[in-house]
Amino acid sequence: MRKLFTFLTLGIVVLLSACSSEDNSTQGQEGDKPTSTENTQMQEVTFWHSMGGAAQESLNKIVGDFNKSQDKIHVNALYQGTYDESLTKFNAVAGSDSAPTVIQTFEIGTKAMINSGQILPIQELIDADGYDMSGLEENITKYYSLDGKFYSMPFNSSTPVMYYNKDAFKAAGLNPDAPPKTFEEVAEASKAIVESNPKMKGFALQAYGWLWEQLLANQGALLLNNDNGRKETPTEIGWSEEEGKSILNWVKNMVDDGTFANYGTNYDNMMAGFLAGDVSMFLQSSASSGDIIDNAPFEVGIAYLPYPANKVRQGVVIGGASLWMIADKPEAEQKAAWEFMKYLQTPKVQAEWHVETGYFAINPSAYQEQIVKDAWAKKPQLQVTVDQLQDTKASYATQGALMDMLPEGRKIIETALETIYNGGDVNQAHRSAIEQFNAAIKQANAARGE
Amino acid sequence: MRMTNSTTNNTSNTHLLEIEQVKKKIRMNNFYKGMLFLLPSIMLFSVFLFYPLFRTIYLSFFLTKASGDTTIFVGLENYVNMFASPLFLKSMKSTFLFVFYTVPTTILISLFLAVIANEKLKGIGFFRTIFSSTMGVSVAAASVLWLYLFNPTVGLFNQILDIFGFEAIGWLTDPKWALLSVSATTIWMNIGFTFLILLSGLQSIDSSLYESADIEGAGYFYKLRRITIPMLSPTLFFVITVTIINAFQSFGQIDILTQGGPVNETNLLVYSIYREAFVNYRFGSASAQAIVLFVLILFMTYLQFKLGERKVHYQ
Repeated sequence: MRKLFTFLTLGIVVLLSACSSEDNSTQGQEGDKPTSTENTQMQEVTFWHSMGGAAQESLNKIVGDFNKSQDKIHVNALYQGTYDESLTKFNAVAGSDSAPTVIQTFEIGTKAMINSGQILPIQELIDADGYDMSGLEENITKYYSLDGKFYSMPFNSSTPVMYYNKDAFKAAGLNPDAPPKTFEEVAEASKAIVESNPKMKGFALQAYGWLWEQLLANQGALLLNNDNGRKETPTEIGWSEEEGKSILNWVKNMVDDGTFANYGTNYDNMMAGFLAGDVSMFLQSSASSGDIIDNAPFEVGIAYLPYPANKVRQGVVIGGASLWMIADKPEAEQKAAWEFMKYLQTPKVQAEWHVETGYFAINPSAYQEQIVKDAWAKKPQLQVTVDQLQDTKASYATQGALMDMLPEGRKIIETALETIYNGGDVNQAHRSAIEQFNAAIKQANAARGE
Repeated sequence: MRMTNSTTNNTSNTHLLEIEQVKKKIRMNNFYKGMLFLLPSIMLFSVFLFYPLFRTIYLSFFLTKASGDTTIFVGLENYVNMFASPLFLKSMKSTFLFVFYTVPTTILISLFLAVIANEKLKGIGFFRTIFSSTMGVSVAAASVLWLYLFNPTVGLFNQILDIFGFEAIGWLTDPKWALLSVSATTIWMNIGFTFLILLSGLQSIDSSLYESADIEGAGYFYKLRRITIPMLSPTLFFVITVTIINAFQSFGQIDILTQGGPVNETNLLVYSIYREAFVNYRFGSASAQAIVLFVLILFMTYLQFKLGERKVHYQ
């Protein structure tokens, strides 16, 4: 018994000392911080982003330049994986000290971020600072403002475009400078391509919900009712039977013709297929344009997003991401982060960002910078992406949908698209997608407790 | 007489009582000692297993916000909706098919490899290393390797098909092939571990059994059937149990190869839970699915112990 007790007490002592030593160390850390800031007068800003690959290098350079440009603020840019992964991590630490000062979140996360209650609408900082947002690209600010109020700072924006292989167009007797504009013309061009070269498919559409949203907007269709959720919380989908099926039938016809290349949901395989000459046209974000033009062994053309021939082209919805200020942070830290956000909007930074990545310049005066002019002279295709955005007609359809269940909606649409790629029935695929989409909207509204 | 009798009775009673008390004390002591030894694991299990389990059960009765905070109590609605959802039923079907494709194939191939690698030949160590080498490959690395093999443009498989003049196959994009492709990857990955365990089981079989069988003049396959398999049965039982549980919990290869596509054909249960929780932010129904998976694995393991263990021969 005595041995047992000594053992027990020993154990408790060890445990207690372990706990207390931990306390000491955290105290030590907390004690260190104020002294270090006192010494250097540096305000730390933590910035979570989801820019991988070439965009990450470019972003790191911009952040480094900002840190060097002044000696008051130090921005710590941390890559947190994809937007989904980053949001998951953020939800886990939200409200604690580990939460970042600024987080980059994709456009369809906008409503979820507003609903989360964890963010500070940047409108408050704009008002306090007297900052002028009207200098920014109108199509972009339209997406991110709700009832005239800005919740987040736009940063990286892109729209979908159609990439095509000019050499293959020439070989098939098509005019490489007059790319197909409508769904019907794309289908015709695909046939011509396959006839001239049986090893090459005409067209590829990645099963990607974002492209579906864009193809709807381009024909003036809403994704969600209540004006795409801009007026009130949506209660069901906003597109009509005819508008939805026009996309599915278009794809279905190409699948039946044998001119459609199915790469499923995989973007990398589709791009590899395009570069290897397996497919002549595909839709993708303009943010990939730099990459694709540099890597293709043939001449790459960039065209506007196609639309059904019986409709008028409306234009595209802005995609990409914006920067969110996190609430419950010390005022000095938020002010420092605000300085960083303003720095990102300057024409010089935006020009660099546009040229290196293919994302738009949020600030259109960036297009007057010399490096942009030089880049456009070398790659005139880059200008097409900007033109398409500026040709967009202002409407609720092209303003884009706001809702917190959009990531789920995309998955539902992707399933419907894949069903068609594999020879499924258009009516059935469309009906089951609508049913699931509406059910998801209903459940999202219920979960909010409204 | 009566008095003495009662006193003896009394004394024996008190004796018995004392014995009982001492016994009880010893029992209690043993219990405390036992608990003391179990304390570290109980503490760890409570923090990392029991608490999350109860929390998951609790969450499965609620709707949640994106941050995971509960909003409305819905009782069993999450469960009812789940079993009415064609998506969930499909993912159940895919999961069972996946288990059916991978488990028997993995075990048969590994058993075959283990039996041939158990021969005492020169240079057999080389083959043993090769056969067990996939154990050292992580799920992510293996999946990326296979992703390249399946690539529609530059993948090895489609190039081989091309040489023989066959149509290219959409290994990961055709619903008919996707689950088989993922299964093939999984089988390849699991062979290393299964092979190693089975080989160690074979090595521990007493050689005198084979010697006596040789004297009796028994043939190779007779020995395999009558000695090797029965003596290996505890190892086989272990391997089957572990492989089945692993197959039910597969996630990494799905995430890298197909993301549950095409047409949700490879949307296995764990991937479906992940998507529900971290893409759709519906922690309530994700928790409900997790509980169903837990009960399913518990039931399968129970069934195995009930049915399988009777056939296991422990030495």
